[in-house]
Amino acid sequence: MDDLLTERLAELAVGFGANVQADQIVMVNAELGREPLARAVAAAAYRAGARYVDVTYADAFVRRAKIENAGDEAIGYAPPWHVERMKQMGEQHVAVISLEAALDPAATDGLDPVRLGADQSPVRQAYLRLVMERLINWCIIACPTPEWAARVHPDLPVDEAFELLSQEIARVCRLDEDDPVAAWQTRFDRLTEISERLGEHRFEAVHFSGDGTDLTVGLLPSAEWACATFTTAEGISHHPNLPTEEVFTTPDPRRTDGVVRSTKPLNIEGTMVTGLTVRFEGGRAVAIDADGGAEVLRGRASRDDGASRLGELALVDGEGRIGALDTVFYSTLIDENAASHIALGSGLGYLVKDERDKEQVNSSSIHIDFMIGSPEIDVDGMNADGTRVPVLRGGEWQI
Amino acid sequence: MADLTVDERRRRLARLLVGFGANVQPGQTVMVGGDIDDRELVRAVANECYLAGARFVELNYFDLYIKRARIEFGGDDSIGYATTWSYEQARAAAAEKWAIISLSGGTDPSILAGLDPDRLGRDNSPVNTEWLKAVSEQLVNWTVGPSPSPVWAAVVHPDMEPDAALELLWSEVERVCRLDEDDPVASWEQRMGDMVATAGRIDDHRFDALHFQGPGTDLEVGLLPSSRFISGGSETADGIPHRPNVPSEEAFTTPDPTRVNGEVRATRPLDVGGTVLTGLRVRFEDGRAVTIDADQGGEVLRARTAIDDGGVRLGEVALVDGESRIGQLGTVFYETLLDENAACHIALGQGFDYCVSGDDVGRINSSQIHIDFMIGDDDVDVTGVTGGGDRVPVLRGGAWQV
Repeated sequence: MDDLLTERLAELAVGFGANVQADQIVMVNAELGREPLARAVAAAAYRAGARYVDVTYADAFVRRAKIENAGDEAIGYAPPWHVERMKQMGEQHVAVISLEAALDPAATDGLDPVRLGADQSPVRQAYLRLVMERLINWCIIACPTPEWAARVHPDLPVDEAFELLSQEIARVCRLDEDDPVAAWQTRFDRLTEISERLGEHRFEAVHFSGDGTDLTVGLLPSAEWACATFTTAEGISHHPNLPTEEVFTTPDPRRTDGVVRSTKPLNIEGTMVTGLTVRFEGGRAVAIDADGGAEVLRGRASRDDGASRLGELALVDGEGRIGALDTVFYSTLIDENAASHIALGSGLGYLVKDERDKEQVNSSSIHIDFMIGSPEIDVDGMNADGTRVPVLRGGEWQI
Repeated sequence: MADLTVDERRRRLARLLVGFGANVQPGQTVMVGGDIDDRELVRAVANECYLAGARFVELNYFDLYIKRARIEFGGDDSIGYATTWSYEQARAAAAEKWAIISLSGGTDPSILAGLDPDRLGRDNSPVNTEWLKAVSEQLVNWTVGPSPSPVWAAVVHPDMEPDAALELLWSEVERVCRLDEDDPVASWEQRMGDMVATAGRIDDHRFDALHFQGPGTDLEVGLLPSSRFISGGSETADGIPHRPNVPSEEAFTTPDPTRVNGEVRATRPLDVGGTVLTGLRVRFEDGRAVTIDADQGGEVLRARTAIDDGGVRLGEVALVDGESRIGQLGTVFYETLLDENAACHIALGQGFDYCVSGDDVGRINSSQIHIDFMIGDDDVDVTGVTGGGDRVPVLRGGAWQV
């Protein structure tokens, strides 16, 4: 990735993603190996008037050392000041920019999954609270790295793979536009308009049909549709995911029926699930079949009561740039924006207004998105009286 | 050593810093600090910490390019700013009695080149005071050790191919850290034990001054009545022994800043903030450096020492014998951790209050600077002078006489 592209990506994260304000403190979270973008973000944030930029480099190989060699009392432990730091970040309304990439598999291959799973720090909860209470303006942005490129394009020499991934990320982040911020603003205006229209229709359900799919997903009466634009309690608008293309809601986990065929391969922590079909009855996934990897998804879907029910329904139109690339990025940030998708597992409670509906939102320890949309799949809104309203045809909005 | 893999070399250095340097205890939180170019050694150190039973390794990677961004683009109140949580971290280190391991090596001087020197000078974190407090109250067990990197190797061996330069720097670091011994810790225990005994014998003489004599050097450095020579290790208030510098070859004290007289010639080049001084000669009168001359770079040291009253007076005098492996190598590392252990040296600027006691604490030199320079060699004699005027040989031909 050349310096100019790195700088444009940093400017997008600072000026549009987190929308850093003058005199704000900016936290930058980066795994080692992402220094070029971290440095560019720091420079862009200072140019935007940041008071101070606090860059924290994490090191997955040190975490590996812990999982491999530390005593049990070290697993899941973090010094108490880390929680205090989160609290003070909330009080001081900082901006947070996190650089996302797939990790070097050498940092995680072969680690004990039980110890890895148990190494959940209390700091994560403290951070989620800052997000839920809207105390911080934040952004997760894709950061091309050679290690990530090798994973996405394993057949290319690493420098060519890195160059290609950089170009793809530039494309999906709209950095190839003369004015990327203006392009994103136009896109968000459109997505906001669509989510408002979908909300106004108050559909009872959404129906997907075509190419092996015939699926009805019931909606909760007071669930809203949204796109990924947030506003802090103090009124700073920001865009927490870059790139993003989706308009999404949280469905009724009791009313999903029919058959759905996945339109893209699904990556579950390294296992590729291909040719996936799932049959739902009364909200539950009762049959999960695939050409490869079905047992991994079956294992996840049986983890708890909510794991076989839906927590998310998202629509992506043909203007979305990620699906057109036909690349698996091994990163949810990007991959879940490739096409219309549903997710097994935990729902999005904040989208539901009515208290009784809130209780219905699906709850689970998993959240696995899989792609079910394509230009060949028609999407219709279903009204309570049985009438249908076209929503997507050939990848184009009809509402 | 050449048949060891790079990973194995790092593992041995890491084990020495964790087990002997900081002496990490089971259940401790350990802060490991280093430049991002030191990441391979940081990872090896972290791994050894966890093997030693550490509960948490707190990483403190620094990246000079982030500092550069702040100096270049930050507003005036960004310079020298510290977050409230960085104070929490230093307080936690003191309250929870952490171990601290810092890696040190030459960095690429071009990263900060061309920046406003005034803003650079003011960009000091006020949290440093908290960390120094944790150290001076002996709440943390800590060490500073060397981290060979390609950037540092290029500074030390500029005429060599990068791979060969790094290989040579690694073998030099292994030699001076005694990692070429079968049992490096036993070798250090022996060496530091000898040094502590020597320092004790020098203290027993209650010298009033030290006299350095050799080619171009005839310098008398007055000592304070309670000046004590310190060497080797340190101990926390809870009794955890640790070695603040690996390697360490010196016995040092803080002198009387009003009683230094004569001429001294530096026996090695020295690096002052990126400028190399050669052929340095200094003349002292009544404690003050009244003339500073050099074949190259003299003006930089003259400017530095003019910063405050104590800048032209001595804060440290240190004795190093010919057994020092750093001195034996003859390499200039442009890194104080190693270079100051090459030979006897003196330092202009700040003194050490823990080297004296009673009323003498108020008499030690005080300054914003502390610049060490080497004045010892095999042909420089060191003689102790007692209050009664008796002269006692201390070092002759690099060998202890006490």
